[in-house]
Amino acid sequence: MADHTVDSAVPLPPDAAGGALPAGAEDVSSIPPVAQGRLAQRDEGYLRLAWRRFRRSFVGMLGLVLVCALLIMAIFADFFAPMDPKDQTLSFAAPDTILFEQSDGSFSLLPKVYPIVESDKLDPITFQPIDGPDMAHPVDLGFFVKGYSYNIFRVIPWNIHFFGAVSGVPIHFLGTDKLGRDILSRGIIGSRISLTIALVVVFLTTTVGTLVGITSGYLGGRIDTWVQRFVEIVLAFPQLPLYLALTTLIPVTAPSNVFIAFVVAVMAVLGWAQLSREVRSKTMALARIEYVRAAIAVGSGDFRIITRHILPNVLSHIIVAVTLAIPTVVLLESFLGFLGFAVKPPLISWGLMLQDTGTFSVIGSYPWILSPVVFVLITVFAFNALGDGLRDAVDPY
Amino acid sequence: MSATDLAPAERLDLGTHGRSLILDGRNIAVRFKVEGGLVEAVRDVSFQLHKGETIALVGESGSGKSVTARTVMRLLTKRATIDPKSKVVLDGTDILRLSEPQMRALRGNKISMIFQEPMSSLNPIYTVGQQIVEILHLHNRISRAEAMRRAEKLLEEVQIPEPAARLKSYPHQLSGGQRQRVMIAMALANRPEILIADEPTTALDVTVQAQILNLLKDLKAKYGMAVILITHDLTIVRQFSDYVYVMQHGEVKEHNQTEALFQSPQHAYTRHLLASEPKGVANPLAAGGQTVLEGKKVRVSFTLKRGGLFKPDFFELVAVDSLDLHLQRHETLGLVGESGSGKTTFGQALIRLIHTQAGEVTFDGQRIDQFTRKQMRPLRRRMQIVFQDPFASLNPRMSIRQIIEEGLIVNHIGRNTRERVERVRQALRDAGMPDTILNRFPHEFSGGQRQRIAIARAIALEPEFILLDEPTSALDLSVQAQIIELLRKLQNEKGLSYLFISHDLKVVRALCHRVMVMQHGKIVEQGPVAEVLNNPQTDYTRRLVRAAFEIAA
Repeated sequence: MADHTVDSAVPLPPDAAGGALPAGAEDVSSIPPVAQGRLAQRDEGYLRLAWRRFRRSFVGMLGLVLVCALLIMAIFADFFAPMDPKDQTLSFAAPDTILFEQSDGSFSLLPKVYPIVESDKLDPITFQPIDGPDMAHPVDLGFFVKGYSYNIFRVIPWNIHFFGAVSGVPIHFLGTDKLGRDILSRGIIGSRISLTIALVVVFLTTTVGTLVGITSGYLGGRIDTWVQRFVEIVLAFPQLPLYLALTTLIPVTAPSNVFIAFVVAVMAVLGWAQLSREVRSKTMALARIEYVRAAIAVGSGDFRIITRHILPNVLSHIIVAVTLAIPTVVLLESFLGFLGFAVKPPLISWGLMLQDTGTFSVIGSYPWILSPVVFVLITVFAFNALGDGLRDAVDPY
Repeated sequence: MSATDLAPAERLDLGTHGRSLILDGRNIAVRFKVEGGLVEAVRDVSFQLHKGETIALVGESGSGKSVTARTVMRLLTKRATIDPKSKVVLDGTDILRLSEPQMRALRGNKISMIFQEPMSSLNPIYTVGQQIVEILHLHNRISRAEAMRRAEKLLEEVQIPEPAARLKSYPHQLSGGQRQRVMIAMALANRPEILIADEPTTALDVTVQAQILNLLKDLKAKYGMAVILITHDLTIVRQFSDYVYVMQHGEVKEHNQTEALFQSPQHAYTRHLLASEPKGVANPLAAGGQTVLEGKKVRVSFTLKRGGLFKPDFFELVAVDSLDLHLQRHETLGLVGESGSGKTTFGQALIRLIHTQAGEVTFDGQRIDQFTRKQMRPLRRRMQIVFQDPFASLNPRMSIRQIIEEGLIVNHIGRNTRERVERVRQALRDAGMPDTILNRFPHEFSGGQRQRIAIARAIALEPEFILLDEPTSALDLSVQAQIIELLRKLQNEKGLSYLFISHDLKVVRALCHRVMVMQHGKIVEQGPVAEVLNNPQTDYTRRLVRAAFEIAA
């Protein structure tokens, strides 16, 4: 029975794009796929197709690189931070001057940092000590320098930093905050908390949203009606007052990790509804498509249909939704942190760092303390760009 | 002429008729930028069009016939590049070198085009009248009232009843055929010299198709237009065109006067195309066969909402109205009707993919109409289905092996993976596909190949009965013929019974033993295929038969 394929009355299907004339039998083993060129060479799974499309998008690739860089920076934050974020030096010091100059004014190939120091002179009006770059004592910069001690992954003790002052003198590329702590180092270390909150919240909302959406969309009927009414109620909540109200429920004395867990829980509870709607509508469309009917016709059960046919096909949509949801949470965190409702000291987050910028006089006198905004901006841009690139790539058929 | 020779650029009937040349396309070549390189969609195509005649561009999907037409209209996407050697001369000017404003003045004025899909070519938020008036205003400086008058006359010309009232209708209020008539009215609004009709009737029911084509023919004669007809349907070509260009892989393989081409096709591809009309008949049936599937007074209806919040009102749409059906072992029963006649609903209700409201369904002596999905599961492997659209019926995320193996896994067929894979291979071979494609994905295959994979999925379970829901409608003609051959062969080898749902009477004649004709959820006529098709008793069947075999309304 195995050998009747070539000489049967049925010639092989002619190929829309392939070359051979349909008359007569072709070699069975070499039936050409429709796709030509590079496509034809290998059996191409979904990932390969999506990746090839993704690679074409410059913005998407840029987003991917930035997101990877951000994640690496967050994971090895201590390594990348030049200063101990808790170390206090001069309060509200301006960013250090970096010059390609020796202290005598001659050219230097390697940049030198002139740290800001307080001088003996006082400002005649405010009677504050005047500070400025210490031109007499340049500091050499270097890579992989020794600095404060930390533990990689909380276990391996280490004290090498990616870059910093060779001599270990305090340097502040982005200046210092109210308590004289290095803003750059705090920004780098703060990415940990900010990104962790974002990732955990998005993980929770995605899981809940997907489960609710698929169940509701696939089962349909009365269950769907009631679930959707509930989703509508969640969506109708005025979110901001609710955030504030819920976060004030936490006792002020609660340890900061409990506080964060609570904030994450609140964000997750209010955040899953939108995604569940999108997943539901996708599921409903897929549940009527013919390959799902074909699966019913071969006798597949609901669980199999959901896991093998529906979930893989909504997954692309979910991945895009996730990448686009992360910046929203980062922004929300920075906003709530600014209001003092997200993260409490001694933890560091971008939102918390921006809390110092609350008064006009501070921004006017020390504009560099706004620099955590740049971290937020880069993060939001990176994830949005990645999400946009993915959106075009996930539907390659 | 040998099979590999390119067709000559000049027409074979040059100088044999007195008509003057109106459009002269020379060496048209179009390339598309795609991932991984360039695709030559059209290569060195030349054609000539004379006043008052119809030329047909024939070919299967991907042959470049639509691209050629769009090149003439300059409606190609940005990814396309037209070769600089290409020339399309209209009235002494090469329209490929006109500027965009000059081209706009030409489009819809001297040259117009009708598209395949009447559903999406009309804007749903404007009335029919507004859309026709817009076209008139683009090229003429006339008053609104005058434009409206002309629009009404146009609708009258395309034989839409009550044209004055129809002007105020929105597209959704019209049927598919009427929409296509409106499209034709719009195309004719400025009395074009050339009309390009790109598969004008493919999306329409057969009876409507005949009316539209005859309308086009009449209008062509009335205004002395030249028509470029793009189609894959050879019956249409034979009936409506004067000169034919056969295209394959972006090249003109052969061209000739219609009759001459059909009488003595020269090129191997043309011969292949002509030979791929569905032919043959089903093998005769042994008398007194056992009944596999039986339906008695099967009724399917859908409850639709009508009325508002305060005055709720429901009405019942009866899709299948108390129908009987019985199918013997080894038999193929055709279920024929136009779209909306309820034939697919009836078929899917019989294998319990759709709920029935009343009636009995018996499968192999077992009554199944009250079975739940779980109770149906043991029976599923014995009854299978092949869908119309092979692009929607295969999950794009699963490999060919996973697709075919699924039924084996859920039905616990095969003791281990090796046994199952062997069965998958066997099913692929039976369906005429190589068994080396297990790890490929559906998107790598053409429509016909996918349909074979869908058939392999069905026969892997070794069913006794397969519901074939228009399995050939989405396929090219030559592929269609092969699928029919395959189905016939499988029936002989495996003793399958088919319920074959189709609107295409030619295919039905080639494959079925008996046929049932459905209209509005009722069966209007049934009997042996030869009897029903050769000697139809009801008006409706007569219309269907005439439309299918003669393209006459």
